[in-house]
Amino acid sequence: MIKNYLKIAWRNLKRNKAYAFISVTGLALGVTCGILIFTLISYHLSFDNFHKNPDRIYRFYTEWHDGTVGMASAVPQPLGKAYRANFNLSEKTARIISYSGTLISLPGKDIKKFEEKDGVAFTEPEYFDILNFPLIQGDKRNILAKPNQALITENIAKKYWGTSDVIGNTIRLDNKISFTVTGILKDLPANTDRKQEIYVSYANLDEYTDKRHEDAWGGVYSGSQAFTLLKPNVSVERVNAALAQLVKMNFKGRDAKVWNFKIQPLSDIHFNADLDGYADRKYLWALFFIGLFLIITACVNFVNLATAQALNRAKEVGIRKVLGSLPRQLFWQFIAETALITLVATFFAVILAEVSLPLINNLFQSKMQFNWALLAPFIFIIILIVVFLSGSYPGLVLARFQPILALKSKLSQKHIGGFSLRRVLVVVQFSISQVLIIGTIIVVAQLHYSQNTDLGFNKNAIVMVPLPTDDLSKMKTLLNRFNEVNGVEKATLCYSAPASQSNSTTGVNFDHRAEDEHGGINVKAGDVNYLSLFGLKLVAGRNFFAADTTRELLVNETFVKKLNLKPKDVIGKILSIDGHHTTAPIVGVVKDFYNYSFHTEISPICISPNYHSYSNVALKINMHSANSSLASIEKIWNNTFPDELYSYSFLDDSIAKFYEMDNILLKLIEAFAAIAILIGCLGLYGLVSFMAVRKTKEIGVRKVLGASIQHILWLFGKEFCKLLLIAFFIAAPIAWWAMNNYLKDFVYKISIGPSIFLLSIASTFIIAAITVGYRATVAAVTNPVKSLRSE
Amino acid sequence: MLSLKNISKYHKAGSLKTTILQNINLDVDAGEFVSIMGPSGSGKSTLLNIIGMLDEPSEGYQYFLNEPVHQLKDKQRSALYKANIGFVFQAYHLIDELTVYENIETPLLYHDIKSGERKALVADMLDRFQIVGKKDLFPSQLSGGQQQLVGIARALIVSPKLLLADEPTGNLNSKQGDEIMELFSKLNKEEGMTIIQVTHSEKNAAYGTRIINLLDGTIESSKNI
Repeated sequence: MIKNYLKIAWRNLKRNKAYAFISVTGLALGVTCGILIFTLISYHLSFDNFHKNPDRIYRFYTEWHDGTVGMASAVPQPLGKAYRANFNLSEKTARIISYSGTLISLPGKDIKKFEEKDGVAFTEPEYFDILNFPLIQGDKRNILAKPNQALITENIAKKYWGTSDVIGNTIRLDNKISFTVTGILKDLPANTDRKQEIYVSYANLDEYTDKRHEDAWGGVYSGSQAFTLLKPNVSVERVNAALAQLVKMNFKGRDAKVWNFKIQPLSDIHFNADLDGYADRKYLWALFFIGLFLIITACVNFVNLATAQALNRAKEVGIRKVLGSLPRQLFWQFIAETALITLVATFFAVILAEVSLPLINNLFQSKMQFNWALLAPFIFIIILIVVFLSGSYPGLVLARFQPILALKSKLSQKHIGGFSLRRVLVVVQFSISQVLIIGTIIVVAQLHYSQNTDLGFNKNAIVMVPLPTDDLSKMKTLLNRFNEVNGVEKATLCYSAPASQSNSTTGVNFDHRAEDEHGGINVKAGDVNYLSLFGLKLVAGRNFFAADTTRELLVNETFVKKLNLKPKDVIGKILSIDGHHTTAPIVGVVKDFYNYSFHTEISPICISPNYHSYSNVALKINMHSANSSLASIEKIWNNTFPDELYSYSFLDDSIAKFYEMDNILLKLIEAFAAIAILIGCLGLYGLVSFMAVRKTKEIGVRKVLGASIQHILWLFGKEFCKLLLIAFFIAAPIAWWAMNNYLKDFVYKISIGPSIFLLSIASTFIIAAITVGYRATVAAVTNPVKSLRSE
Repeated sequence: MLSLKNISKYHKAGSLKTTILQNINLDVDAGEFVSIMGPSGSGKSTLLNIIGMLDEPSEGYQYFLNEPVHQLKDKQRSALYKANIGFVFQAYHLIDELTVYENIETPLLYHDIKSGERKALVADMLDRFQIVGKKDLFPSQLSGGQQQLVGIARALIVSPKLLLADEPTGNLNSKQGDEIMELFSKLNKEEGMTIIQVTHSEKNAAYGTRIINLLDGTIESSKNI
């Protein structure tokens, strides 16, 4: 019996190639998205799930309650030690201080140099008791116990020496400290947020930083983290209460109210966007619903087409009934056909997913793999759901046909039901695609706005190169040599560009006030050319005079506004920064510029010369001779710093990187919108084919009565305009709500105006018109004699 | 074999009532070959469909093999006709996607007959109608007469007690029609098959043992030959 069903199903598909193609394509696309989204979500859910006792592992974090609440996943360096010494709530507590973008060199005949993006981590040995990163070589009991020891992954060992047998080899960090490799770690799994591959003895931290942070409670370096493994049955509340005690012991006055320390469960780390979590749960849910919607759309499509086909199958069903088939048997026959289509579609979907996974990995910089043990049941369930969702409706409808009517071709609309159902389905599909279209337009508009709005400074044709020295005379020589390079128009020594991911924020005291100002100030060190090179404008006062250390200061408008003063009122007032170490008069106020992405607010900023902080050289170059200038710059740089690794970046590229996540989001939403539109069009095509068949006689009669082709086309057009408008009115508020939430992540943003909605509906209409147009035209130009005779 | 008492059939469209059959009384015995005649719209096909339980009468009592059909539930009724009645149509109504062999086999599938037995039965039937050579062809590759042969073979494969034929020769030329009628006559005489056919043709009607004339939904005359 089943063989017979499949045979019929196969022959039917072969006969109705267009129908089979549309069904399979739509379903395959939907299932592909389902598989990919499932993989993506399960990948993110699997993050750091391989540690022992995951429910007892926590990370410390800091909260500042200072008017607004600020959060950071980092804590002051002494916190971990103080917690360990004062409380007996945890089995293990470890501090790990990481520095990114470090230089590793391998001593030897010819020195090899590597820039490590994820950097190195000064780590207490307990770290490896808390988190499960196993050693493959070395002794677990005394790793990193003594100074100058290093632990590297197998991957790094192979990269440096081509072999993993490297115990006893030496690496040198930033040309400052040498470490001996005493252990090799198993390569990190892809699903961890702990990206460091080089761990060195914590004891060397002070030597590396030149300053003693070991007892500095007043500041937080973003790389300074601490993990703890709680004893069983210790509650989070107890630990947080203990941490509150630590605050009382180490902070005074207002600070004791501002500073708060808490612990965050391991399972929250990957998802908590406030604490640098990578995958916001919000976006994962959004993806989940998009995937669900795409599968629903594909099913809807399938039902749509299958019931439209039902008329053609009516005769066969009638015969089968007369031959003694039971409704149940017919039902299963249609289920078998659906199952066949679904299996073929799933087959293509799996291939498609295999092909597109590398693209997605590329987009997210991730290393996702298909986990077939998990994916296989998922696909199986999807198949079951799709088969029964889309097979049972046509199955039931067809199985209920009155055989005599079917045989006499007297079946009409009311027997195979649901033109109105079909309409509802198309409206649902188009609502989904319009939500995605509106989403795409808004993300594009916001990105365009972020990247094309005047940032308040000049970002074009500016090259940044690192300055790995504290030696003033070396800096000046380098600057002079750069200035002589053909094509370099201007050069300045600075800490960072006006907009940068690296910022240095310190406390600030204005005009000898009794209390420091809230929120601190972002200090941008730069020499006298800083303003002119970056095109910053003064609104009051003057630029500072050339100097090597801070004698005079500039502040920005935001800082003045926070003081509730006018720009001219602050000129000449004394400002004290850097924990009262640096005190100087304000000589000018610069016009506000965006000092980070549009996601964050403009900070209070001060600009002053201070050669201790200079870590970059900014060069304004002539783009016509950029290649030769860059080559000369590299040569000069390498002569000056033979031990360091040269790199350069264009400022506008670095700024574009602020929006990396937004660009990923854009690509995703574009892809999903395209697929949703495609599936929607397939559904629309199904509907118009169905209408064309149904209206054959009506069209024939109308044409005989003198209707023109335009009249006939309008028969179709009227119907679809109505459906699309309904879809639009459903989609618009949903999209408005969703995208409003998205834009909340931006401080500086576009407003969602009517033009966005107009654009969306216009594009949908054009797409729909193209889809419907062909089939409708064919129906309209058919010779009426033919269509009437066939009745 | 079957008996109709006061059978009426009408359609209601709003307040308009269209009568198709009115007060039909008819008994058919096993072994009869009945031809139902009458002009278009006289209710011939409807009567045949009611006999075949594809359609339900609006009023009246109907017995088939002593079972009160009007009292049976859908399931029992379809089981009854599935086991005892074979249909032959004017338009053959073969399934286009299936070969000759598969078309003949299909009713057996619905009778839950095992694969080995099915093969034997279909092979017998192909032999008997001398269409073995055509068993792998599709309906569209056959002439009308051949298609109707397949249709009859398919109707007979489950060995029904009653064969119902709705203008079986209506789409055929006279030579093909004669062959089909010869076949019916032979089935009736040699195997004692009860046959009821609807026909327009006096000549075809004459193959039977009784002719019933319908006019405007009532039996005008019934005569044995």
